[in-house]
Amino acid sequence: MRLLRNLGRRKLRTTLTVLGITIGVWTLVVFGALATKINRLVDGGSQYYAGKIIVSDASNSGIGLGTVPMDLAVANQIRGMAGVAAADPQVEIPLDGNANAAFGTPNLIDGAVAGADKGLDSFTPEPAQGRLLTAGDEGAQVTVLGSDLARKLDVGVGDSTKLNGVPFTIVGILQPTLLSPDTTAMVPLAAGQKLFLATLPPLLRGTLDASQLASRIIVHPASGTDEAALATRIKATADNVSAMTSADFNQQVGATTMIFNAIIIGVALISLIVGGLSVINTMAMSVAERTREIGIKRAIGGSRIRVVREIVAEAGFIGLLGGLIGLTLGALVVVVANEAGRSSGLILFELTPATAILAIVFSTILAAIAGIVPALHAARLDPVTALRYE
Amino acid sequence: MPLLEAANLRKTYKLTRNNTVEALRGVDISINRGEMVAIMGPSGSGKSTLLHILGLLHAPDANHGPAPELRFDGRDVADLPDGQRTRIRARQMGFVFQQFNLVPTLGAVENVALAGEYAGMKWSGALTKAAEMLAYVGLADRHGHRPSELSGGEQQRVAIARALVNEPALILADEPTGNLDSKRSAELLDLLRRFKEERGQTFVLVTHDAEVGAACDRIVRMRDGLVLEASMALPAAA
Repeated sequence: MRLLRNLGRRKLRTTLTVLGITIGVWTLVVFGALATKINRLVDGGSQYYAGKIIVSDASNSGIGLGTVPMDLAVANQIRGMAGVAAADPQVEIPLDGNANAAFGTPNLIDGAVAGADKGLDSFTPEPAQGRLLTAGDEGAQVTVLGSDLARKLDVGVGDSTKLNGVPFTIVGILQPTLLSPDTTAMVPLAAGQKLFLATLPPLLRGTLDASQLASRIIVHPASGTDEAALATRIKATADNVSAMTSADFNQQVGATTMIFNAIIIGVALISLIVGGLSVINTMAMSVAERTREIGIKRAIGGSRIRVVREIVAEAGFIGLLGGLIGLTLGALVVVVANEAGRSSGLILFELTPATAILAIVFSTILAAIAGIVPALHAARLDPVTALRYE
Repeated sequence: MPLLEAANLRKTYKLTRNNTVEALRGVDISINRGEMVAIMGPSGSGKSTLLHILGLLHAPDANHGPAPELRFDGRDVADLPDGQRTRIRARQMGFVFQQFNLVPTLGAVENVALAGEYAGMKWSGALTKAAEMLAYVGLADRHGHRPSELSGGEQQRVAIARALVNEPALILADEPTGNLDSKRSAELLDLLRRFKEERGQTFVLVTHDAEVGAACDRIVRMRDGLVLEASMALPAAA
C-alpha cells in the first residue's frame, strides 16, 4: 500500500492519467463489443449460407433483401436439375417497412413452406414457447416470432398480432439465437406471398399472381455436388437469376468485415497508446520529483531492480485502475445501449469475457511498459547527486 | 584489526568540459573496528567525497596515479560492480545525513523498516525490528508519524534508527549534527556513543563541529584533498 501513497501524492495528476487509460480501455471495450457482435452476425451469415445456394433475381444488388419478385416456375425448373436435393422458394420482406437499420439485423417477415428444405437446412431454430410452423399451416394466418421481436411487440403464444397490417395468430416464439431469426416473423409461404405482393408497386401488382411469387430460392445441393459448379449451372439454366454460394458470401462480407474490424481495433489501440504515453509522462514527472528520495533509497541499499520495480508497479497499477474503470463504463454503455435497442431489435454490442480480460491485461501491461522508460532513468541516477537534488 | 583500509584514493569531478575539481588527491586511511573517527576540515577539503568512497557510494578513480586500494571487512571493494556495492551498503553499512533524508510518504517506523527490507528482511519482520530500534532511540511514541510531523532532532533519531536497524559493522554520517541545535547535538552524540560502547560498532563522522570531533576517538583532518594528520587515538570518552 506504499504504492498507493506514492500515487496519492499528486492526486490530480494520477487521476488524469488514470482517466487517459480509462478512455482508451473504454474505447477498446465498446468498439471491441461492436466488432464482436458484427463478427457474430457475419459468422451467423456464413453458417446460414453454408451448404446452400441462394438464388434470387439478377437485378437485386449485393446480398441484401431480395425485393424483386421471382416466379415459382424458376424453383420448379431448378428442382429438376441434376445435383439439386431441394429447392425451397421463400419470401422475405421487411416488417413495417423497417429495412434500413444501419447495423444489426432489420425486422423481417420470412415466408416459407415448412419442410420444403427436406430437412437439409443446418440452420434450425428451436421454439422457446409453442411450436414451429408445419407444412399443414399453409393457408393459415399463423406466425412464429423471433425472441426479440416477440418482446418488442409484447405478445405471447396464442395472441394475435398484425404483420404489415394483416392479422396473424402467434403459435410459437423462438429461442434467442443472437442472430437474424431473433428479429424475424416466420409465416407460411402463402401468407408471405400475399404480404410480398402488397409491398410491390401498384402497376406491377396487378400483373402478378401472389401464389406464384418468391423473393428467393434456397437451393440445397445433393451431397457430393460442387456448390460453385451448381451455381454456375443454375445461372446458365434459369433466366436472369443470380446464384450465391457460401464462398461468395464469405468473400464479399469477409473482406468488408476485416476492414471494419481493422478500423475499429485501430481506433481503440490508438486511444490506448495515447493513454500509454500519458503514463510515461506521469511517471517521468514523478521520478523527477522523487529524485532525492530515489537517491536516499539507493544510498541506504535499495538496488536498481527495486527502484525499477517500484516505478513499474506504480505505472502498472495506473493501467489496471484505468482498465477496470474503462471496462466498467464500457460494459455500462454496452448494457444500456443493448437494452435501449432491444425494443427495436437493434442489438449492437456483444461483450465477451475474453474482450474484458484482454482489455484489462492489455492496459496493465501497456502502462507497466510505459513505466519502464522513466524507471530505468531513475535506476541510473547517481545516489550522491540525487541526494543533493532539491 | 582494521575494518576499513584505504590507500591512494583519488577522485576528480568534471564540472564542465574544461573545469575539473580534484576532490581527493591520494588519501590513505585506516579505521579500526569499534573506533569512532571524525573527519574534519574546511569546505571543499574532500571529506564528503572520502565518506562517499568509504561508503561505496562512489568508486575511487582508477585511471591515473597508483592503483587505489580499498578493503572493507577484509574484502577488496575498490572496483565492485554496482549491485555488489549496493548489497554491502544494505547489509553492512548504515548512513546518516545532514538533511536526515527520510522518505516523506513513509511513517517513522516504515522509514526504519525500509532499510531492513533492503537488507533482506520480510516487511513484517522489518517493521518489528524497526519498532524496537525506534524505542531504543527514544521514539517509541512516534511510530506512525511522517517526517513532516517530526522535529529535526526526532527526524535525525529516526535516521539513526534506520542506519542501525541492520546492526551494520560501519556507520557513516555526513554532518549528522549540521541541522541540530547544541542540545540536540549533544543528545545525538550520546546516542551514537551508546551504540559504540554497547554494540562495538564503528563510526565515521564527517563534521565541522568541534564538539563532535571531541566526542570521537580520533580526528582525521583534511585540506585540499589530502589527509593532513591523523591525530593519535584519544582516550575513549567515559
